[in-house]
Amino acid sequence: MSMLLAARNPILRWSYFLEQWDRIQGAIFQHLQLTLMSVLLGFIISAGLAAIGLRYRWSIGPITLFAAFVYTIPSVAFFGVLRTTPLGLSVYTVLIPLTGFTLLILVTNILDGFRAVPASVKEAADAMGMTPMRRLFTVEVPVAVPYMINGLRIATVTIVGLVAVAGIVGYGGLGNLIMEGIRRQFWSPLTIGASLSILLAILLDLLYFLLGRWLTPWARTARS
Amino acid sequence: MMLAQRAIPRDTTLGEWFTDPQSWTGSAGILASLGDTVVLCLAVILTSSLLAVPTAAYLAHHRLAQVTSAWLVNIGRALPTFAVAALLVPVSLRGGYGFEPWPIFIALVLLTVPPMFLSTYVAVREVDPAAVDAARAMGFTERAVLRSVELPLASTVIFTGLRVAGVQVVATEPIRAFLGGDGLGRYIRDGIGQNNATLTIGGTILIAALAGITGLVFSATERLIKPYGVRRLRAHRKPRSGDADEEPDLGDTDEFASHHGAAVGRMR
Repeated sequence: MSMLLAARNPILRWSYFLEQWDRIQGAIFQHLQLTLMSVLLGFIISAGLAAIGLRYRWSIGPITLFAAFVYTIPSVAFFGVLRTTPLGLSVYTVLIPLTGFTLLILVTNILDGFRAVPASVKEAADAMGMTPMRRLFTVEVPVAVPYMINGLRIATVTIVGLVAVAGIVGYGGLGNLIMEGIRRQFWSPLTIGASLSILLAILLDLLYFLLGRWLTPWARTARS
Repeated sequence: MMLAQRAIPRDTTLGEWFTDPQSWTGSAGILASLGDTVVLCLAVILTSSLLAVPTAAYLAHHRLAQVTSAWLVNIGRALPTFAVAALLVPVSLRGGYGFEPWPIFIALVLLTVPPMFLSTYVAVREVDPAAVDAARAMGFTERAVLRSVELPLASTVIFTGLRVAGVQVVATEPIRAFLGGDGLGRYIRDGIGQNNATLTIGGTILIAALAGITGLVFSATERLIKPYGVRRLRAHRKPRSGDADEEPDLGDTDEFASHHGAAVGRMR
């Protein structure tokens, strides 16, 4: 328990990597699973909220305010409070805060996307005889896609970082390895957990960048 | 490492906890923890703003490093604070610096520099070029243009960036309690350890209150030190795109980020 002992432990034992590969793999899997689940869930809820906001303009203010309020709850506090409620150590204890944290990012970006469609373009679509549904999917959604991708990208990267924080309640993928390292003052799991979550964030960020380019070829040609 | 926990009986209510003088005093008391948190947050905010604001203002004035800064800001924003702080803990221990405060300090500085840099850079770049040229024509040196024209006109957006980053620091600092430190996050840590909702909720209330007060302090400071001329300006000018109370992005220089539009920044 002494500081000296902790200081002498090596930062990373490569043998640990091989011996514990199954656990590390499981942690990566859980990390990705929690990230994807909360971003997907967040996207569905945000799309619904954005649809309400676009239909009833007055509701945009309260919706944004609510999302902003959830977003400012410190993550450790949100996890910690739910951990000590009857939810205990269930997946909901981490999934509810994680999903909540995506809302502000996703709602704002989706709304921005749809508001970026010029009125003249919408009128032109109507004049061409498009039904509202057809106009939505062939005109408005493509314009909004870059905004949505951008929102998903920021949300995903943020959530990768926050899943690691969920390690404090013992349900956080690579964050579990980090907390194990702190608790045992044995640095190999900590180093592996922390560097892999940083790597995961950067990789996913890059992946979204490529996805955005692939999905919106017109943005590239327009710029060059 | 586990520092002294403040154990309380499970049936203590929030009201009892907050009104018991023992909760407030001592080395594990609220006052001491609040002090720990405030000192660290102040140090982080000061360091980050001293690093980010002058650099960004200088680069933006000379239109330098637009693509490089966009990349750095984006990579900085992708860094998970908790993982960065954790990664630094063994490094700090082996260097003989202990669990605290360097790992969390560095991680929080890395968290706040990108948004501060971004808002300052965009704010200075978006200053009306007519005003800048007028100052040049009046014989201002480049330095004076930056200091007396661009910075005052950009101050509203710069302050907004600082305030958002400041609140972000206060809301993120509690992770410190899970990495061998203390501060207000200790009550959440101890509450989880003892499965005691009074402690976790109490800690949350304290952190939220501090974050709220931080926002108010920033707004008050802004009012106090904003130049008189700029305050007069507000009333007569209609808001321009650069003045919006939202985090702007680097626009078309931002190869790595969004295609258009304002993006909500990453917190925590």
